[in-house]
Amino acid sequence: MTTFLSGISIVCFVASYAVALGCEASRLVFRSGVRGMVMVGFAAAGLVAHTLFLGWRAVSESTVPLSSPFDWYLLAAWLLAAGYLWLALTNPRTPVGLFLLPVVLALVGAAVLASREPFLQSPAAQVWARIHGSFNLAFSVSVALGAVAGMMWLIQAGRLTRKQPPLKGFRMPSLERLALVTHRTLGVAAWTAVAGFVSGIVLNAVKLPESVPWTDPVVMRMGMVVAWLVVADGVTLATRRRPGGDRIAAWLSVASLMVLAGSITWGLIAPTRHGVPAAAIQAGMPEVSP
Amino acid sequence: MTATATKAATTLSLVGGTHRTVPLELRERLAFSAEQAAAALVAFRERFPGREGVLLSTCNRVEFYAAGEHEAAAPPAEELVAFLAECRGLDPGRLAGVLTRQADEAVVKHLFSVASGLDSMVLGEPQILGQVKQAWSLARDNGTSGPLTGGMFQAALRTAKRVASETAIGRERTSIPSVAVADFAAAVFEQFDDKRILLIGAGKMAAETLRYLRAGGARDVTVVNRTASRAVELAARLGARPGSFAELAAELVAADLVVSTTGASELVVPLSLFERIERARGGRPLVVLDLAVPRDFDPAIGERPGVWLYSVDDLAAACNANRHSRKREMPAALAIIEEETLRFMTDVHHRATAPVIEQLRAGWSETGDLELERLFRRLPDLAETERVEIRQAFERYAAKLLHPPLVSLRSESQSGPPLGLLDALRRLFQLRE
Repeated sequence: MTTFLSGISIVCFVASYAVALGCEASRLVFRSGVRGMVMVGFAAAGLVAHTLFLGWRAVSESTVPLSSPFDWYLLAAWLLAAGYLWLALTNPRTPVGLFLLPVVLALVGAAVLASREPFLQSPAAQVWARIHGSFNLAFSVSVALGAVAGMMWLIQAGRLTRKQPPLKGFRMPSLERLALVTHRTLGVAAWTAVAGFVSGIVLNAVKLPESVPWTDPVVMRMGMVVAWLVVADGVTLATRRRPGGDRIAAWLSVASLMVLAGSITWGLIAPTRHGVPAAAIQAGMPEVSP
Repeated sequence: MTATATKAATTLSLVGGTHRTVPLELRERLAFSAEQAAAALVAFRERFPGREGVLLSTCNRVEFYAAGEHEAAAPPAEELVAFLAECRGLDPGRLAGVLTRQADEAVVKHLFSVASGLDSMVLGEPQILGQVKQAWSLARDNGTSGPLTGGMFQAALRTAKRVASETAIGRERTSIPSVAVADFAAAVFEQFDDKRILLIGAGKMAAETLRYLRAGGARDVTVVNRTASRAVELAARLGARPGSFAELAAELVAADLVVSTTGASELVVPLSLFERIERARGGRPLVVLDLAVPRDFDPAIGERPGVWLYSVDDLAAACNANRHSRKREMPAALAIIEEETLRFMTDVHHRATAPVIEQLRAGWSETGDLELERLFRRLPDLAETERVEIRQAFERYAAKLLHPPLVSLRSESQSGPPLGLLDALRRLFQLRE
């Protein structure tokens, strides 16, 4: 059993998600009676492998899922993959995987590039670190879901504006439902992002004197993301009762994912003291990316 | 080859006319009500005893499917034409000129196409399948459906299900009201039960569109008309609430979906009117199905954010796109029909071999029994279990000898009745005809 679990690699679930994505894309090309089963089967197999991989890491590395940037990205991808599987089962005719699975694969890709070093050692700081990580996870997942709904809204609205019948095998949810999701996810994303940032400030205070400076790239980029999300949510709320408010919300949701993706890319390449164990800094070890 | 062997033992025959071949005026007179169809089937049973018959009568077609076997072969087409003319009190000469006749495999292929909606006025429409089922059921009830028509109609239903599930021929909608509601209004709104529907005018498409909206859950429906009494009358007929045309602006503010079908020669809702009420709507999306010709809504209103305006031309274009989409599925549907026709005809042709096989089996069995009796008389000390073993060995031997000719007959049945093989078997084993 141990050999089996330790043998599960990232390739296992990435390959399963990729096949499920390929099945979703094939909706545009041909009809098939068995595609739905194959798609859900591969997505479920990927999710099981993904779960076992995270579980095995938690046991073998004595870590919890949010203990390193690597685990954080993988957990975010797991949440979105689980969401996809649920949507694929409850709405089999909606090609939601075409939008959601690329985000899942991108997050797994970010995990591969991210550091596997645990964030912190101190027990007091770990509690705040988990709160901080959880809020950041919640807002990132909300942004991703909102962007998917926003993209689908724009595609559906484009089709309705051009007065074309729906594409075969590409039936989108109604604008009403998609607008509801974009509005709600933007709101959730904004407030969990604020909570994540505030908990980050508390965490920084708890682990003084080895705190992360305000000028640290991670602090700056997270500050920008939080500011963007709060402004985006404010604009969405202000325009909701105006003509075209849903379109503005859809565009802002998509733009929010772009901002988050830019922030993650920046985080992967810029050196930082964020999340680096104090002992490592004191020992003069190199700084890591989150 | 004997004279009997050259004749197929089973025959299928079809006489009928559709919207393509029979003028509407004659089609109306030829059509059968359910009672008339039942009476016609009873008359058929009396006129052609031992034959099978199914009458399919819809608003677009009247077709009589007849079948028979051996001595009681299906009646000739001309007799069926005369029979239909007699049933409806029409001149047989006039009918003979417009009704089409088909025989055997062509009958099967035609029925499978009809049941699958490929021969319908609207390609792929599903209602015909129910009508085919009803026709068969009526024939069963009146004792004119037997193994041949039963098998053929059962196969037709299976074929129609295959065409529906394996192709998209019936998926896309092709009527303006259904496309308006399913492909456009339902793409904007998740549900209609919490939406306010406004009908402006009393055009013929209003009621049909409302039927689809009601099926989607619409409950809150208001009808306005320039003539107040007409609005009240329409509202009562459609189960809606009458509104005042003078308060059209207020109704537009409250509405989520508007179906407009007035006969007005000028715009009923100009852009200036919409601009006045736009702010009061609070940014709620508005779907407008302008089914009037000339249009009731200024097309510029469709450019306003949150407004989804569709005219008859827009919806007709979507219907045409759907029709083209259905046509693209034709080759796949026809392939299924070919496959199912071959399967059914193989079974039908194979049925003709049954008497010969039965005689062959009976002859061998009789010879085997005689030989066994002689053997058991010579070996009186055999135990009962040994006798059973020997008897079973004889039966297995006979079955194995019979297997190759059976396979050959089945294989030959795919390309028609295996008359040559049957004749050869009869002559080789001296079977009676």
